[in-house]
Amino acid sequence: MKTPWILVRRHLRSHWLRTGLTVTSLVFSLFLFCFLVSIVTTMEDQVKQSATNRLFVQSAVSLFQDIPLDYQPKIEQVAGAATVTKFQWFGSYYKDRSNFLAQFGIDHDRFLDMYRREMVIIGPDGQPSEEARAAAQAALNADRRACIIGEGLVRDPKFEWKVGQTIQVNTPFFAMTDGTAWEFNVVAVYHPLKANFDDRQVFFRYDYLDEMRKAGRCLGSEGVGVFVVNVQDGHDSGQVIADIDGMFRNGPQRTNTMTEAAFQQLFVSMMGNVPLFLGTIGGAVVFAVVFSVVNTMLMASRQRTHEMGILKALGYTNGAVGGLIMVESLFLSLLGGGTGVVLAWLLAEPLRKGMGQFFPQYRVHPETAWLGLAITVGIGVLAGIMPALTASRLRPVDALRSEG
Amino acid sequence: MAMIEMQGVSKRYERGGQTLTVLDKLSLQVPQGDFVALMGPSGSGKSTILNLLGGLDTPDEGRITVAGQEITAIPPGSLPAWRARHVGFVFQAFNLVPVLTALENVMLPLNLQPLSRAERRKQAEFALEVVGLKDRMHHRPRQLSGGQEQRVAIARAIVTDPDLVLADEPTGDLDRDSANAIMDLLRRLNDEMKKTLVVVTHDAVAADKARRVLHLDKGVLAREVANPTPARAAAT
Repeated sequence: MKTPWILVRRHLRSHWLRTGLTVTSLVFSLFLFCFLVSIVTTMEDQVKQSATNRLFVQSAVSLFQDIPLDYQPKIEQVAGAATVTKFQWFGSYYKDRSNFLAQFGIDHDRFLDMYRREMVIIGPDGQPSEEARAAAQAALNADRRACIIGEGLVRDPKFEWKVGQTIQVNTPFFAMTDGTAWEFNVVAVYHPLKANFDDRQVFFRYDYLDEMRKAGRCLGSEGVGVFVVNVQDGHDSGQVIADIDGMFRNGPQRTNTMTEAAFQQLFVSMMGNVPLFLGTIGGAVVFAVVFSVVNTMLMASRQRTHEMGILKALGYTNGAVGGLIMVESLFLSLLGGGTGVVLAWLLAEPLRKGMGQFFPQYRVHPETAWLGLAITVGIGVLAGIMPALTASRLRPVDALRSEG
Repeated sequence: MAMIEMQGVSKRYERGGQTLTVLDKLSLQVPQGDFVALMGPSGSGKSTILNLLGGLDTPDEGRITVAGQEITAIPPGSLPAWRARHVGFVFQAFNLVPVLTALENVMLPLNLQPLSRAERRKQAEFALEVVGLKDRMHHRPRQLSGGQEQRVAIARAIVTDPDLVLADEPTGDLDRDSANAIMDLLRRLNDEMKKTLVVVTHDAVAADKARRVLHLDKGVLAREVANPTPARAAAT
């Protein structure tokens, strides 16, 4: 089947405004679609990549209800509980409230060992090493105000923190009673080993917080928000969960223990059904743009009815004439939609940085990009099929009589 | 040898619940190398004959043979290929594709032939030279006058060296001088290249260039004038 493809190019160029507007709407739609789907997959990634042998113990009432500190030695006695650390959310910010920090008080003597699979410590040479880890551990042991920061905070121009620096942060939840800021000494920088492990966290000694609170120098009640438990290899996490929650069934504070994945899922569900909401918006945008491209192709095909008659009179087959419309529709769709998908792919890293701590693991999955391209092709086919069929069924005599 | 043979051809259309007989058992022969002008009032069936001869439409009754092949027996799906090989069309409104240059318009029918791009271009340039427009080959239709556009359309009609050229009111949209030039060109194609031409026209002066004028009336052949003059061609 011979087809004069030159007509596709010439028509797209000669109607540059219509082509430009349609392509632009496709670029925005597919970019937005890939972006929204990537937000959803980023949320799912955080859940999927969570360790299955790590448990989070929180109050059965709510995450914001502290549990007593004396639960820790009892949890450590449960069969299968390898190590336990406090994990106290600090709710701090640096200079301005918009510079929100994911800062946690931890048990400094075991935290680094518990999170070996999630992070490595970077040495002065910029390379991760066991020596750097040992040095960080020693520094944590030696300095009550020591903290370890993620490399994201080193790179971020709003922070640019470095080892040896004393940082000042504020928190409304544990505010200093004299109105001054909290001070921490940066002793090490970590590099995350898992995509779902935020590279902008701050870990500091819980005993420093506890000491300040007991001394009445800061607000806050005694207790801890969460205990993190690493389960020994060969033990069933489900059984350990049942044993911990069973131990505290009669109080004084009931616990709700869950795997790290379930804990992450809890945060996602706290945002309501955001994935469904975002998915619906993405779908609606694509749905709307289908009509826009269908309209463009119907207009283009109607204006070219006479030309189709000429082609048929010259000997071009029905398939060739219909194929012209279909190829034009596919080309238009791929030009716009493909650009949108490629932009979403290329801008993933700047967007990740731009979204800061909200979606630190934001990335566009190859599957999302392929889905975007498949939708693009689908739009092209949907938009082209009707005018292409109409064009191929046109009788040459009728087409030549038309004024289009 | 007859280039065209129509035997008992009828064509009817349904219009507003009524059946209009446009051609009524028409029989006609056109020898190879002839130049026939079809004249007659509007609705007499002139353009319908061209559409049937070019395989753009099919008769309700009768047989049509062109260049020894019965086109009424060709399956509809094969008609475009037959048309591309055997027929060249010239229309009243020129019917050039506005987004293509003159050269590209003339190359359009050649895309259907098994030729290389260089061969197609060479052949299209030759056809434009025949109609005297090689120097305007990179111009778009809107950059050409009406007469020039029709000459490009004629170049497109002859570029595949078809057996038959069908022209539907080729001078209808042109001034007198341009119309004369176009009819002279068609006559030259007949004289020098031995093309068989069937031209539909209302213009007796234009019909004067043909070797024969056939008058149609109400779907039947009313009268034939050989070696016409404008006065004889116009006489009813």
